Amino acid sequence: MIALVRYLAVDVLRGQRYLAPLLVFLGVMGMLFASDAGQPLEAYSGSSALLYPIAAWMAVVVATSEDVVRREITVVNAGGWPRVLTAAALVAVMFAMAMAVLAAVWPVVTNPHPYTAGEFFVGLAAHTGCALLGVGVGLLFARPVLDSIGRTVLAVFSVVVLTYPLGRATPLGWVLDALGHNRVSLSLLGTAAVGVALVAAAVVAGVRRA
Amino acid sequence: MGGYLGVVLLDQVSKRYGRGPWVLRDLTLEVSGLTVLSGANGTGKSTLLKIAAGVLRPTSGRVERPASVGYVPERFPSDVKMSASSYLAHMGRVRGTEVGDVLERLGFVGSMTAPMSELSKGNTQKVALAQALAASDVLVLDEPWTGLDPSAAAELVSLLEGRTALVSDHEGHLASATRVDLAGGHVTIELSRVSAPDALEVLEGVRSVQARGSSVRVVVAPERSDQVLAEALRLGCSVRSVR
Repeated sequence: MIALVRYLAVDVLRGQRYLAPLLVFLGVMGMLFASDAGQPLEAYSGSSALLYPIAAWMAVVVATSEDVVRREITVVNAGGWPRVLTAAALVAVMFAMAMAVLAAVWPVVTNPHPYTAGEFFVGLAAHTGCALLGVGVGLLFARPVLDSIGRTVLAVFSVVVLTYPLGRATPLGWVLDALGHNRVSLSLLGTAAVGVALVAAAVVAGVRRA
Repeated sequence: MGGYLGVVLLDQVSKRYGRGPWVLRDLTLEVSGLTVLSGANGTGKSTLLKIAAGVLRPTSGRVERPASVGYVPERFPSDVKMSASSYLAHMGRVRGTEVGDVLERLGFVGSMTAPMSELSKGNTQKVALAQALAASDVLVLDEPWTGLDPSAAAELVSLLEGRTALVSDHEGHLASATRVDLAGGHVTIELSRVSAPDALEVLEGVRSVQARGSSVRVVVAPERSDQVLAEALRLGCSVRSVR
């Protein structure tokens, strides 16, 4: 599994399609924290909301990095679709987690308000939950669940856009509500749990569809 | 079958994509030693090879294959950014085996460190073959001679000797191999007064059943058309045409 994860990660990095979501993420983060972003937890709400669609985008990049034919060869060499789709999900989670850590550290460095260790870890948990949600949504609509990249983009975009107006009815809303009110909530763990469940569901759906 | 490391068994395998026509129907095949698949375009050779390799699941039926299978697709992608050496090293680690000297034996002359997108078609094919031939048990090769020069093609034939391989081969490189011909063509039966299309759909040899206005069009494998026709008449259908 480690060899498979390493191969898929290298393939994503060689393909350079990861640069688009990464640059958008860095650019918007720069804008969010260009000036005083507010109280520590409140400041995390903007980057958490940003990380959700960026992680979904990155997950689609990871899932579609290999074209269909090369993915078939990888499946045969790795011993089946479950191993390959699990490895792809792990790679997508790794990329998303790297951005989650960066997003949690960023305001600690740039925001004029001092951060306690507790606030940092709450922020990290919030970003982790949003990143996992994004990865789950991205993988759930990417190949092999949906074969066409056009349908994937449309489905992921629709789900992401519809998530925001639903507010606290969604796991993303739980996080944004807690951070926006500057309070620590167990719902952060609930969001991460839903994210993990979504990623697992995406792997199962992919195996069934392949 | 003794002496060969791997055996692939396909038992009553059928395949259709979604609700489309049957691509394969009730195919039983045991592959040990060199086996060549032949048949006209569109007769399901590539689909059968993907099922044998484990890329596709059959719609029905059972497949048994050993753990270590090597697979070469019909067309290896030409836009791979990874270098040949990097790709082969990664595939070797994923599989847990060494790739060996297959590339040298096939006469690979391109850059091992340049992106594969810069390699010629023949050299790309040699890389595809090298990753597959590292498999210890069974090879599943779809038109593996595509793009190879004559000396590489001859070397591939010698590399396959003594191995278990299911190969799609239009060009007759493996004259001594067991041949399996996938029946080409079909018979179209147009019926009316069809009260139970589902009863037709499950008949052996039927690839698709489509309602067209007041009639139903049944596409059947040629060798089963007589039986399907007889069953349709027994079910009370009227035959409009057989083509």
